[in-house]
Amino acid sequence: MDFGSFLAAPEIKVKIVTYRDIFQNKAMIEDRFGEDYKNTSAVIKMDSADLNQLSVKKGDTVIVKNSFGKIVARVEESGYETSHKGIAYMPNSPWSNMLVSDETGGSGVPKFKDIEATVTTAKGAKITDLEL
Amino acid sequence: MEGNHNICTGCGLLCDDIEVELEKEIVNKVYTACRVGVAHMKEGSREASFLVDGKPVDEPAAIEKAAEILKNAKNPLIFGLGTSTNEAQKKAIELAKKLNATLDDTSSFCLGPVVEALLQEKFKTCTLDDVRHKGDVMVFWGADPSDSHPRHLSKFSYFPRGEQKQRGWEEERTAIAIDIRKSHTAKICGNYFFQIPPGGDAEFINALIDGVSGKLPKTSYGYPPKKLLELANILKGAKFGTIFMGLGLLYSLENLDPIIRLVEVLNEKAKGEFHLIPMVGHYNMRGFNQNLFAETGYVNSVKFENGEAKHGPEYSTVEALKAKTVDAALIIGSDPLASLPRSIAKNLLDIPIISIDPCETLTSKKAKVYFGNAISGVECGGTATRMDGVEVSFNPIIETKRPSDEEILTKLTEAL
Ligand code: SF4
Repeated sequence: MDFGSFLAAPEIKVKIVTYRDIFQNKAMIEDRFGEDYKNTSAVIKMDSADLNQLSVKKGDTVIVKNSFGKIVARVEESGYETSHKGIAYMPNSPWSNMLVSDETGGSGVPKFKDIEATVTTAKGAKITDLEL
Repeated sequence: MEGNHNICTGCGLLCDDIEVELEKEIVNKVYTACRVGVAHMKEGSREASFLVDGKPVDEPAAIEKAAEILKNAKNPLIFGLGTSTNEAQKKAIELAKKLNATLDDTSSFCLGPVVEALLQEKFKTCTLDDVRHKGDVMVFWGADPSDSHPRHLSKFSYFPRGEQKQRGWEEERTAIAIDIRKSHTAKICGNYFFQIPPGGDAEFINALIDGVSGKLPKTSYGYPPKKLLELANILKGAKFGTIFMGLGLLYSLENLDPIIRLVEVLNEKAKGEFHLIPMVGHYNMRGFNQNLFAETGYVNSVKFENGEAKHGPEYSTVEALKAKTVDAALIIGSDPLASLPRSIAKNLLDIPIISIDPCETLTSKKAKVYFGNAISGVECGGTATRMDGVEVSFNPIIETKRPSDEEILTKLTEAL
């Protein structure tokens, strides 16, 4: 019996900051329903200490979720010298937008660059496909 | 400009030095553009495409169906237009008036407030050509042009020689990045990258104002005062300084007062002049803001009623969708199902959508009526307003069977 499966997989809370990426932008223009766009968009970059805590390696898939949505994305190490535990980065895309709150305080401006979510291992599940 | 130079409409820079090679009436090679521009210029030349309920129809049938949807709607939303020519935008404004529609573009949830303040002359601004010729200090604040406007630094702001800047970046220009993350632009800025915590911009601005005014700059997050003073001194020493304001800075501020104040103070205390330019992304978002401003005094988020425009956040796309006050959507050159939060965009699925877009998108796939239109700058000509306010006109490079969005909007208006 695999007792490991009874233990909850480690989960951490992160604040996700979104950004723009030229390669991802180019991939979108070429084919917004293509693999290249998916692979350059559904990416979350985290501090290496956070990866260790989750027991995932770069290139693995993780579940990123909050009360607005849930996606499976590929995790990467941010490679920044300064530690940024608890802060993660994602390219701005339909994937990050699945996690953005509808709370705007009536301002008309969603918090695209300020997302709170939890991350856990996706145990090899595939990256979420773009659909509605 | 020489004969075969074309304009790229891939981003707000509207680069005017693009050379292309055609083969069998499609763009085969693109020179001088960045990788985004190359991909964009090669998109053109596809068959005509009009769909109703996902099935191919001819243009008159698509116009008829779209007109029927708009006629039956009590409060249609017209949205998008950041990648449309000035001519198409003016048609859309006319159509919105005729329909008593809600009219908005993406600027209501991005840099609209900054463009509005600019048009109201609340701060000093300049053109990118001024920066190329004279700029000695440029601050990229919450902006990463290396990814969003790839030729910004090489064509205008940092690397090129200019009339009064013959020794270029090596000796005569200082590029500074202020950001919460080490972006590609921040890497280029080297030691002049100032990393601040998320949400720390307003305090950083106030500390800089203190530093420039000879007071000790302090932040609650303990930013080293020595570094802040170093930055304040560079800004003070500028002869022709420019702050390029990106979304990162805008989203972090409650209102624009701090940044406007900083530009004011720098103009008082610095050696020379200081300017602010919003980093408008879509090639003609500024054009939309200016065209609507000229017509109504507002840059976005309006609702027409008997020719008069009402304005407020409740008429922004986001709030109108959230409150479900709109009952049909005409979306031009934009993909809100991809670019808005899913938690809000999902309400679009409850109303009929008309999509005018050169590409198939998540939004076009859900549209009742879809018009595949010509790509401006590649398949149709017109005029646009560059991110710094310079008017640019362009001609089509290749022929297409696809109508322009301007033509579609004209026909739609006639059909009503
Ligand atoms: S920087 Fe912008 S306008 Fe210039 S080539 Fe690239 S995408 Fe086109």
